[in-house]
Amino acid sequence: MTVPSPAHVEGVTVLSQEHLTDDVYRLTVATTTGGTPGQFYMVRAWEREPLLARPISVHSVDEDTVSFLYQVRGRGTELLSHLQQGGTVALTGPLGHGFHTEELRGRIAIVTGGIGIAPMFCLARTLPPGDVTVIAGFKSTPYAVAQFTDLGMDVRIATEDGCDGTRGFCTEIFDPHIYDMVVTCGPMPMMARVAHLCAEAGAPCQASLEAHMACGVGACLVCSCATVLGNKRVCADGPVFDAAEVIWHA
Amino acid sequence: MLETTLCGVTLKNPVIAASGTFGFGAEYSEFFDVSRLGGICTKGLTLHPREGNPGLRVWETPAGMMNSVGLQNPGIPVFLERELPRMRTLGTAIIANVGGGDLEEYVEGVRLVSGADGVDIIELNISCPNVREGGMAFGIKCDVAASVVAAVRPVCAKPLMVKLSPNAEDITAMAVACERAGADAVSLVNTFKALAIDIHTRKAVFDNVTAGLSGPCIKPIALRMVWEVANAVHIPVVGIGGIATWQDALEFIMAGATAVQVGTATFVKPTAMLDIVDGLERYRADEHLTSLATVCNILGTVPKL
Repeated sequence: MTVPSPAHVEGVTVLSQEHLTDDVYRLTVATTTGGTPGQFYMVRAWEREPLLARPISVHSVDEDTVSFLYQVRGRGTELLSHLQQGGTVALTGPLGHGFHTEELRGRIAIVTGGIGIAPMFCLARTLPPGDVTVIAGFKSTPYAVAQFTDLGMDVRIATEDGCDGTRGFCTEIFDPHIYDMVVTCGPMPMMARVAHLCAEAGAPCQASLEAHMACGVGACLVCSCATVLGNKRVCADGPVFDAAEVIWHA
Repeated sequence: MLETTLCGVTLKNPVIAASGTFGFGAEYSEFFDVSRLGGICTKGLTLHPREGNPGLRVWETPAGMMNSVGLQNPGIPVFLERELPRMRTLGTAIIANVGGGDLEEYVEGVRLVSGADGVDIIELNISCPNVREGGMAFGIKCDVAASVVAAVRPVCAKPLMVKLSPNAEDITAMAVACERAGADAVSLVNTFKALAIDIHTRKAVFDNVTAGLSGPCIKPIALRMVWEVANAVHIPVVGIGGIATWQDALEFIMAGATAVQVGTATFVKPTAMLDIVDGLERYRADEHLTSLATVCNILGTVPKL
């Protein structure tokens, strides 16, 4: 898969804004800038404040659209959620190094926590559906899972409040021994647990990390994460890392 | 024509990428033609590699941001071997920003960089607020700063620009002390020492407690400092601090800056510096000026009321 070169584009038209549940939205914009699974954009939908754009992973890509699945966390994502069809955003991207899709062979587990499901649809579309199990954890009402079922994938759900699927964390219904390859995205403690389980079982695991960013392109070094190979830039060296290389307790 | 001479080095224009905001130039080369810049300051370099600070490294504020990177860099030998050859192909002036943890590291670092082909100016960093030992510790008191400048001067064959901290006890006296100790130029200001508290954890946001504040919020204070320094020294002053537009840049030039550096604005928009270059050129043409030197320090020493 060729990695598209990044660009900074302003005045990108919003095609749709869907409110999925509570604080989770899906924004689709008209752009041909594309992206590979696991890449992200710096997204901006305001003039001055907040100062910085927000890093949001690519949820799905088509020839002339990119979608973002995001959760309202603060002022920036709140402003994104106010966007309506016909509005505009500024995009910088696609950025970073995504999933190593060439390594995804055999039985594959996609393990996600909460909004960590966002980059996985883009990835799932590149995989043979019969080989993939999606294990998705949520605090409460699940979202964005039907699309994996529609692809023909086995989807298993855990919710902390027990409102759907198994009550508890996704890591409690994940058995790494039955998979050849694991990909994960979610809160750091959850990914740390997945990485630990995979290491014990000898299953290779790719983890997509989240970090506060300023430049998003690798220049400012504010999003560094500790790895066995030294500090790495989440934005430019990642956001996808070999889970065995990440120092999770740092 | 925006061509500007800084310490005998010809810059295409007076707009320079600030240290720590532009890596070694490669990252933003994907977004625009960086040869259109007046120059690029490297990420702060130290003789020995540094991993930088642990914990959160960035925090947004109204009209600004705080950072606590802590001089993460590969070390000067690796810079000279791997990064400098690539930088030399970028087609713009290269300003190597050199810091240190102690006097010996400063001297050895400057000696090594000074001997390298392709470095046009050395920017001595005595103003990083994010490292415990060294960095800003050398930029608070005039006599300490002057001793660093005097120590590196004999081993520095390149123009020596000293980057000053706004946290200095008296930044004007500091600039004068650096000039006397042999500085060829001063650049100011680095980030302001600042604090953010997480009210939920009741702890400082940063592991290092304080961090450096940058962005539009510091601009008026930085501008005042540049104006005061420019009217106190006889060497060129490079203005830095919250510059986001060509109008901001022009204010610094009118306050006495020969050139400017732009940092945080590049994070907001990768091509911000090109907009500034284009805006300055439009202004120059519209005002029928042969160069921006005509309006440099046009404010002069206005008597205070």
